[in-house]
Amino acid sequence: MKVDGRRLRSERTKQLIVEAYLAIIRENPHTPVPTAAEIAERAGYSVRSIFERFPDLHTLRVAAADYALAHAAALAPARDVDGDRATRIRSHVETRAGTCERGISLWRSLLLNVDENNELKARIKVARERTIERMELMYRFELDRLEAAERRNTLIALEIITDIESWARLREVYGLSFAEGCAAWVAAIDRILPPTPEGAHLS
Amino acid sequence: MNPRPMKVDGRRLRSERTKQLIIEAYLALAQDLSPRVPTAAEIAARAGYSVRSIFERFPDILALQVAAVDYCFAQVSALAPPRGVESDRETRIEAYVQTRAQTCERWVRLWRSLVINQGDSPELKARIRLARDRVTERMELMFAPEFALMQPEERRQTLIVLEALTDVESWARMLEFFGLSVDEACAVWVQAIDRLLPETPGGAA
Repeated sequence: MKVDGRRLRSERTKQLIVEAYLAIIRENPHTPVPTAAEIAERAGYSVRSIFERFPDLHTLRVAAADYALAHAAALAPARDVDGDRATRIRSHVETRAGTCERGISLWRSLLLNVDENNELKARIKVARERTIERMELMYRFELDRLEAAERRNTLIALEIITDIESWARLREVYGLSFAEGCAAWVAAIDRILPPTPEGAHLS
Repeated sequence: MNPRPMKVDGRRLRSERTKQLIIEAYLALAQDLSPRVPTAAEIAARAGYSVRSIFERFPDILALQVAAVDYCFAQVSALAPPRGVESDRETRIEAYVQTRAQTCERWVRLWRSLVINQGDSPELKARIRLARDRVTERMELMFAPEFALMQPEERRQTLIVLEALTDVESWARMLEFFGLSVDEACAVWVQAIDRLLPETPGGAA
């Protein structure tokens, strides 16, 4: 296949602009709406270069959300899905806490801009659905025992407790360390899940 | 001895009344525009005063925001007293959830605006912290028999998780994202709280 060098360079520039946007947000969690000039300066391009690749800042935000979601998925594969209850809970909590720790600034930026952009709403929905799907996978032995309404209620409560803002609160408001935050989540999930059926885990 | 009648300073009373009307106008607008903070011109138009009147009473919009949050807190306390404190476990959980759900339903838009616009303001951050502390204190009161059984670390962890679970935004998510009715959302909270709390000691109400 012939490689179109100009197109490759343009894609690379796009990616660097997205990364510059994400870096600014991470460094300034309380002012998560960087201007085009700030993004351009950080990326080492002109403001014009940005708007040649993204028609407006909303489009850039959506691209950044997609990039961050793909990044989060790549960094947080499901582990120990067939482990015993304690191993599965610990594995899920540590993976989820890592995702929250890395993603809080972008998440806040998404929420701040969501009212003006339906595409961002869709990304937030995807992120929450992935969290739920992961729990359905990790805790399938326990959840499969429940009636439909109880199962749904349990999943919603677990999603709320392991929400990215809940994690931020553990760290920022209550001053817990990463390990203490994980311990709080492990204890809560263990209490909320019903007993594991005997012989359920495979490894 | 007959107490001397207190002299009422009419001008001061009128000024206080104006302040309150400005706060109420701010709250009504903040509710409508959430999470955007209303401008001074919008608040003045809504309250029926001049922009100058606002800044004669509040040095800046932040001071008005802080006064409005304090006003809300007083309303929350008045409208949501603890109920069923001495009852059995099920009644206490139900009572707590009903009261908390009503508070969340009433204040969600203002809370969202407050959290998003807190910026670096120590005054607003302190109010957010105070609101969360009050939620925690209420749970310590309502679930005192269960918490009495717990070790300090376990108790702390449980309170933190319960506070996150019954946060205003968590309530909003159940209704807006998961599409639950008020009753269904209350059922989620009741079930989760019941599981998070340890067994009630025998003999406790």
